[in-house]
Amino acid sequence: MPDTILVVVEQREGKLNRVSWETITAGQAIAAATGWTLEAAVVGAAAAAPEVAAKKVAKVYAIESARLNPYTPDAFAAALKQFLSSKPPKLILMPHTYQVRDFVPKLATAMGRTVISDCIGFKHESGKLLFTRQMFQGKLAADVSFSSDAPWFATFQNGAFRGDKAEEGASAAAVETVNVDIADGVIRNNPQEIFKEAKQAVDLTQAEVIVAVGRGIKEQKNIEIAKQLADALGGDLAASRPICDSGWLPMDRQIGSSGQTVAPKLYLALGISGAIQHIVGMKGSRTIIAVNKDSEAPIFELADYAVVGNLFDIVPPLIEEVKKAKAGS
Amino acid sequence: MITFRKPIEGVERPQMPADVVIVGGGPAGMACALRLAQLIDEHNNAHPDAQLSKENIYVLEKAREVGQHCLSGALLDPRAIAELLPDFKKDAPLDAEVTKEAVYFFTEKSKFKFPITPPFLRDHGNYVISLNKFVKWMGSKVEQAGVTIFTGFAGSELLYDGDRVNGVRTDDKGVDKEGHQKSNFEPGYDLQAKVVILAEGPRGSLTKQLVQKFDLAKNANPQTYGVGVKELWEVPAGRIAAGEVIYTMGWPLTTREYGGAWIYGSPGHGTTDNIVSLGFVTGLDYADPRLDPQRVLQQFKKHPFVAKLLEGGKMIRYGAKSMPYGGWWAIPPVAGDGWMLIGDTAGFLNSARLKGIHLAIKSGMLAAETAFHALMKNDSSAATLGDFQKTVDSSWIKEELWKYRNLHQGFEHGMLAGMFHTGLQMITGGRGLRNRYTGVAGYERMKKLSQLPADGGAEAHLLGPAKGDGKLTFDKLTDLYHSGTKHEEDQPAHLVIHDTNVCNERCVKEYGSPCQNFCPANVYEMVDDSSQPNGKRISLNPSNCVHCKTCDIQDPYQIITWVPPEGGGGPNYDGM
Repeated sequence: MPDTILVVVEQREGKLNRVSWETITAGQAIAAATGWTLEAAVVGAAAAAPEVAAKKVAKVYAIESARLNPYTPDAFAAALKQFLSSKPPKLILMPHTYQVRDFVPKLATAMGRTVISDCIGFKHESGKLLFTRQMFQGKLAADVSFSSDAPWFATFQNGAFRGDKAEEGASAAAVETVNVDIADGVIRNNPQEIFKEAKQAVDLTQAEVIVAVGRGIKEQKNIEIAKQLADALGGDLAASRPICDSGWLPMDRQIGSSGQTVAPKLYLALGISGAIQHIVGMKGSRTIIAVNKDSEAPIFELADYAVVGNLFDIVPPLIEEVKKAKAGS
Repeated sequence: MITFRKPIEGVERPQMPADVVIVGGGPAGMACALRLAQLIDEHNNAHPDAQLSKENIYVLEKAREVGQHCLSGALLDPRAIAELLPDFKKDAPLDAEVTKEAVYFFTEKSKFKFPITPPFLRDHGNYVISLNKFVKWMGSKVEQAGVTIFTGFAGSELLYDGDRVNGVRTDDKGVDKEGHQKSNFEPGYDLQAKVVILAEGPRGSLTKQLVQKFDLAKNANPQTYGVGVKELWEVPAGRIAAGEVIYTMGWPLTTREYGGAWIYGSPGHGTTDNIVSLGFVTGLDYADPRLDPQRVLQQFKKHPFVAKLLEGGKMIRYGAKSMPYGGWWAIPPVAGDGWMLIGDTAGFLNSARLKGIHLAIKSGMLAAETAFHALMKNDSSAATLGDFQKTVDSSWIKEELWKYRNLHQGFEHGMLAGMFHTGLQMITGGRGLRNRYTGVAGYERMKKLSQLPADGGAEAHLLGPAKGDGKLTFDKLTDLYHSGTKHEEDQPAHLVIHDTNVCNERCVKEYGSPCQNFCPANVYEMVDDSSQPNGKRISLNPSNCVHCKTCDIQDPYQIITWVPPEGGGGPNYDGM
């Protein structure tokens, strides 16, 4: 019997977090390299299981208990521990999200195992599986392997794999519901109603298109044209740090080392120089278009399309062209 | 409107009694804690019926982890650690024993090696270390010895009972940018201590408060400083040997500036690469306010000798820290009613040998001995603690520093005069032309823009921000990223500017806002503001701070007071 890889996908209030497709892609790649079998699990949201089963996985487990809703780290850890103890896979993969960070240390410790976290890739060399992690703020990478027994836990960084590259299955995989028992007293916190701090808080990590502005936008009122472009493209507005520090956009729109890390399909950087602190927050984006009048701006080293010019000359006609293209198609 | 950090008023603070509180977990603070624990253990073994407790001895360390804010070249003279822990060689993290040293004088394209290494720069018997790793190791010894280290806690104020220091107040946590309490607000603790020992490193903030309150510096020379800007590099094998030590003087500085560079080789991490610690120390007494110490380091790396050393290598860490150059005459009284000063905060650094770690450790040990006697006598008045002053005076600390007591002051009129005075001092046991050379605080030597050539003259290549090529040289923001510095964003600004009108109305014109240049971390920025008389306004990025204290030292109006931000924040000097 070959070993198994289990991808635990993430759901929020019944909806799958799109970063889960990245973890499936990772799982498929590791399965291909090692010859192991790939399975997936959804915790506390059986309704989302069929969507997962459409991908190329051998089987999907829907782990259920009334106590899994609302989310608590104790419940998730207890449920997964019970499930994993009955049929331990070799390797358990999860996306490195806030929620996973909340419960996976507890889960791994409860099982006497360890987690290699925030990995950016993997290698399979001479029969050994190595996970690549960043050190020194991304200047160096280290390959880490497990020296303990299975099951092994690993989490992958947002953007390390391509969610759209997750292979579809030839037919839907079987879905097995697994009911778990979470005893009284296991759950120690009592979550209150989920709320968002700011009124129009946005989760940029879920955006497919982002239009970001930097100092080149010059004045707060000019952000309006960036917003119009974002709207025309069906995307979200974001900014580099100085814009948020000046209060021109709220902090939840900040991208970078002290803001959010995103990996959308399209990232449009307007008037952003490309300081390393900003780059680390968006370098995983699929396509990067940068507009800047300084031809030596560091962002051009990263951008897929470099537009050297004045953004005030370029953006308004661009908005029109986008609208025309959308109307035509 | 910037809100500056200050202790919250009108809140009840938890009171905690303590025997000894050591503020600062660097080599001095750790040595003090360890020595004190050793003395108490010795006493307890000899007096089983009259035991002293170690439970009420605390080290406060503002970093999240021990050693995280420690940065130095560094070369360790093992003299002091050998006294503290005779078998230190068994497990101390010593990167390499010094195998060879060389001193060069650089010109822009060339170099001249000193045929004889000056005695004060000879390093045989010394070790290349990472101060961060060394202090982590000392910290583990301190905890094994039973002393508690509170990481993530800064000393924000001294507590007084009249003229007696009787404790330390720690930082308020959970205060937002406007100075209001957040939902996770926790007032600082009032640690009521019998003895408070300040080991804050160069330009300590509590030390500054203490010196000002009691006018302690009135009979001392003003303390003068340099700022060391450091990068850690990984270079291919064969370029430099582990244990190889290089010092340089001259280019990129001119004869008017004080400073120089170090390059130390360490073994790599089990690969064929070597780790190179390199940095440039610029004396904080230069004349042109546009001078940028981080740029000076980048210029230095462009020298063919250095560029060749670093070619194909990778910069892995960056940091900066000030260091006290004033020498013996700039050390204030080091003991008083309820308090003692140790390490760099007192000024125990040998600026000729460019070494202070051994002096920090020794001063910590001597202070521990005095603190132990104070606990035994239950008397920590100036009379008892004053013993520390006496033991320092009769120890090898004074013996060593006395020889170089006039060295830095001799350079006040440039390099040639400095070398003349140094030469003279070397043959007169440090005396030179007179027993005590006076000094001037470095910021007083900063000239106004109107007194300097508009294009910067001979110093032009040192002025303004470095652009960097991204491979050998870097702009400040890129370098800063590699310091790993991080702070809680939503907190008041900890760079307290007492009158921002001076920044916006006077400094812009008189000095051209030098804070943008002397800060190695891009904390200070003048942004456009049409409502201001000069069209510019001071803006702060406090979360970029690397806790070097250069701003507190070098601001020409002396209106910046650096206070510790919320504990836990700051640089991450792994391996530095």
